[in-house]
Amino acid sequence: MKKFAFVALTLVAIAAAACGGDSGDVAIVDPTPILSDSEVAQSQETQGTEESTSQATTEVETSKEIVSDAITEAPSGGVFRRVWSDPPTLDPALVTDTTSSGVVVELFSGLVALSTDLQLVPDLAESWEISPDGTVYTFTIRADATFHDGKAVTAQDFKWSIERAANPRTASPVADTYLNDLVGIDDVLEGRTTEIAGIQVIDERTLQFTIDAPKAYFLAKLTYSTAYVLDRENVEAGGSTWTDNPNGTGPFSLKEYRIGERIVLERFEGYSRGGNGVDTIVMNLAGGQQMAMYENDEIDLTGVGLFDLERVLDPNEPLNSELVVAPPNFNISYIGFNAQMAPFDDVNFRMALNHAIDKELIANEVLSQLVTPAYGILPPGFPGYNPELEGLKYDPDRALQLLQDSQYADPATRPRIVVTVPGRGGTIGLDLEVILEMWHQVLGVEVEIQQVEWATYLEDLNKQKFQAFAGLGWEADYPDPQDFLDILFHSNSSLNHGGFSNAEVDALLEEARVEPDAVKRVALYRDAERLIVGDAAWVPLWFQGERHVLIKPHVKGYRLTPMIVPKLTQVRIEK
Amino acid sequence: MWIYIVRRLLWLPILLFAVSAVTFTLGTFGPGDPVVVQLGARYDEETADRLREQLGLNRPVLVQYGDYMWGFIRGDFGESLRFRGRPVRELIAPKMWVSAQLALAALIISVGVGLPLGFFLATRQGSWIDPTAVAVALFVMSVPIMVTAPGLLWVGCLKLGWVPCSGWGGFFDTRIIVPALILGLPGIAGMTRLMRASTLDVLGQDFIRTARAKGLSEWSVSSRHVFQNAMLPIVTILAFSVAGLIGGAFIAETIIGIPGIGRFAVESIFDRDYPVIMAITLVGAGAFVLANLLADISYAFIDPRIRIT
Repeated sequence: MKKFAFVALTLVAIAAAACGGDSGDVAIVDPTPILSDSEVAQSQETQGTEESTSQATTEVETSKEIVSDAITEAPSGGVFRRVWSDPPTLDPALVTDTTSSGVVVELFSGLVALSTDLQLVPDLAESWEISPDGTVYTFTIRADATFHDGKAVTAQDFKWSIERAANPRTASPVADTYLNDLVGIDDVLEGRTTEIAGIQVIDERTLQFTIDAPKAYFLAKLTYSTAYVLDRENVEAGGSTWTDNPNGTGPFSLKEYRIGERIVLERFEGYSRGGNGVDTIVMNLAGGQQMAMYENDEIDLTGVGLFDLERVLDPNEPLNSELVVAPPNFNISYIGFNAQMAPFDDVNFRMALNHAIDKELIANEVLSQLVTPAYGILPPGFPGYNPELEGLKYDPDRALQLLQDSQYADPATRPRIVVTVPGRGGTIGLDLEVILEMWHQVLGVEVEIQQVEWATYLEDLNKQKFQAFAGLGWEADYPDPQDFLDILFHSNSSLNHGGFSNAEVDALLEEARVEPDAVKRVALYRDAERLIVGDAAWVPLWFQGERHVLIKPHVKGYRLTPMIVPKLTQVRIEK
Repeated sequence: MWIYIVRRLLWLPILLFAVSAVTFTLGTFGPGDPVVVQLGARYDEETADRLREQLGLNRPVLVQYGDYMWGFIRGDFGESLRFRGRPVRELIAPKMWVSAQLALAALIISVGVGLPLGFFLATRQGSWIDPTAVAVALFVMSVPIMVTAPGLLWVGCLKLGWVPCSGWGGFFDTRIIVPALILGLPGIAGMTRLMRASTLDVLGQDFIRTARAKGLSEWSVSSRHVFQNAMLPIVTILAFSVAGLIGGAFIAETIIGIPGIGRFAVESIFDRDYPVIMAITLVGAGAFVLANLLADISYAFIDPRIRIT
């Protein structure tokens, strides 16, 4: 029996200030409308590696119970209303962001899914077997699995859908990330053939995947929408706008999508996998003042921003009873250094800047305790999180000493230092202002700020043009240290924007990729994280603090999850 | 006059060509790249190149421009880069219609209140009403939209419950009230002041004295001689204020949640959706030219002495 551990897959760059105060920036960058709403971890499941190594079968059984519970309830009907943004895409193969994903996971589905407790559960597959060497997965598709139009889902449909996602003509930015364990995937990704050797159709309902190594996290990767099943006729007939009338397999079908106005989802009557509650989901795409809309009963859910927080926290305020305090999302904000560029090519200089910042002071006095100071890379509660990691704490004397030891001690010969931030408001965030002042006071180092608008920022970031950059964060879609550390710090990763390179770290990360023992794997990641932090690749700034969300009392069953998972089918409207 | 109109209209394509060339150049050679924005945190060179090819962004700049303009002439505004495969016209037409209705409502408010008020104040020059009203008008005009918008929402929606806080239901829906007020209020003040000044100017003219001297009733003097003549400078301003409304629309649309063109234009700019930006700019420029032309033509009707040649 295979063990499985959670794997981090996507990381979504968020350019919000950690406190999410400037909603304008959030909206441009990661178009998730309600940043703080975007769901919260039930972090006990993912607390440590030990818990997450429980056997796959056990998890499957537990979740089946949850599913059957839900089936016994009659549909509640009703409408669930919320604010959303125009999804950049509704094509499951192209999804890279939470705004798209939040709609796509309700319209489409795959062999397996994540439950609202972040457990791996069967979806269109009713069962699967894993070969003793851990490289061959044989799935049996549910007999009652159908598309919205009633057509049965076959193994051939899955094969076609996954091959389509990997086909270069689809131009999926994530196919490589999520499907690259399949044998023969590179031939398809690079356009040499259109069929993936590692996918075999055994019969109508039996599908076999062969992967290149016994990777415990393979199943978890299949929960991402690149592995969802599509209706070939629907896709081919619809051309580039096929997602206007998608024939999916998810719990909801797309009733209406008017760009910039609204998305309306309607419950798919033929959905048999449980939790049939609300009939209609209305996602308002036109924007508006969410607090006012919520108070006037125009929407059922809203995040609470910094400015409304004090009022909502007041127990005398009627809204207080509707407040849900949710544990934080798994994300971190940071200041990135370009380790290839002076003066950040000197580790002592980078460390000096780290030691000169009093994060506790900023978190408490400036950011109203909405954030937790970060000294490591992995957020608290995240698998692999290391509570013993010391990090580079505030230590002005040591900071000064390190500055003296660095080759940039002399201000006369030190290069001009510019930190680039994204945005369009002219304000750079209170935390950054204080940090600049601390660098000035503790070290006498002058740092300039350059603010560029998001499109420009991204372009220059990808070209590694920045000497240092702030206003960026990373958010895990998926609880595992792999991509947090591997994607951001492996010297070959295209998302290692600072060009950080440490051969020892690379070796550890590569070893961890294929380490089957979850405990050993986490140990490898902890070693890598310690090296990364010790090298001062970044100034890790903040982990998100608790999130505050208002939910109307008539809405039941809405779960705040730390990442996007299909969950609207569990929402019930009880008016 | 027909010759004048035709001549002005002939300028339109030349002007649009200039606007399109500038917009296209700024978009193409300015910083930022639609493909980079679309790929976001998942950027890699290979996928980006493939996307550029699919979107036709790898073609020589002049070919892209020529292609776009050739389509534009035939009424085809191309396809959006952000909403792949969607014709731009289909995207922007309904949003422009929404914004046009909103602008009209705002204009009705500012003109409907501003003109009579300004005229009334001019005839009360010297009394306390005049300076008081002018002061109030100035104050209203100076309050930024970022203050009036939440203020009106708070009062009209949350406190009094007269109107919903968000959304759009067409011209005859109550939800138009708050955004139209947001956009129209500053206009009231401007319109009042202009009309007042213009009326005062006319009142001092000789022909008014003549009109009074020949025994016309005060009503007749006011309506026929004063009001009509005072309207002349206002007409020009009206054409320009339409342009101002488009600017303010972005904020009003964002705060109230209206699917209009203002917000869509700004989002398109941030996402570097060139075909959409081009179409909105060109349609906007065209509308502006036409509004001015209309203003000129209406001169001739308001003041028979003016003959446009």
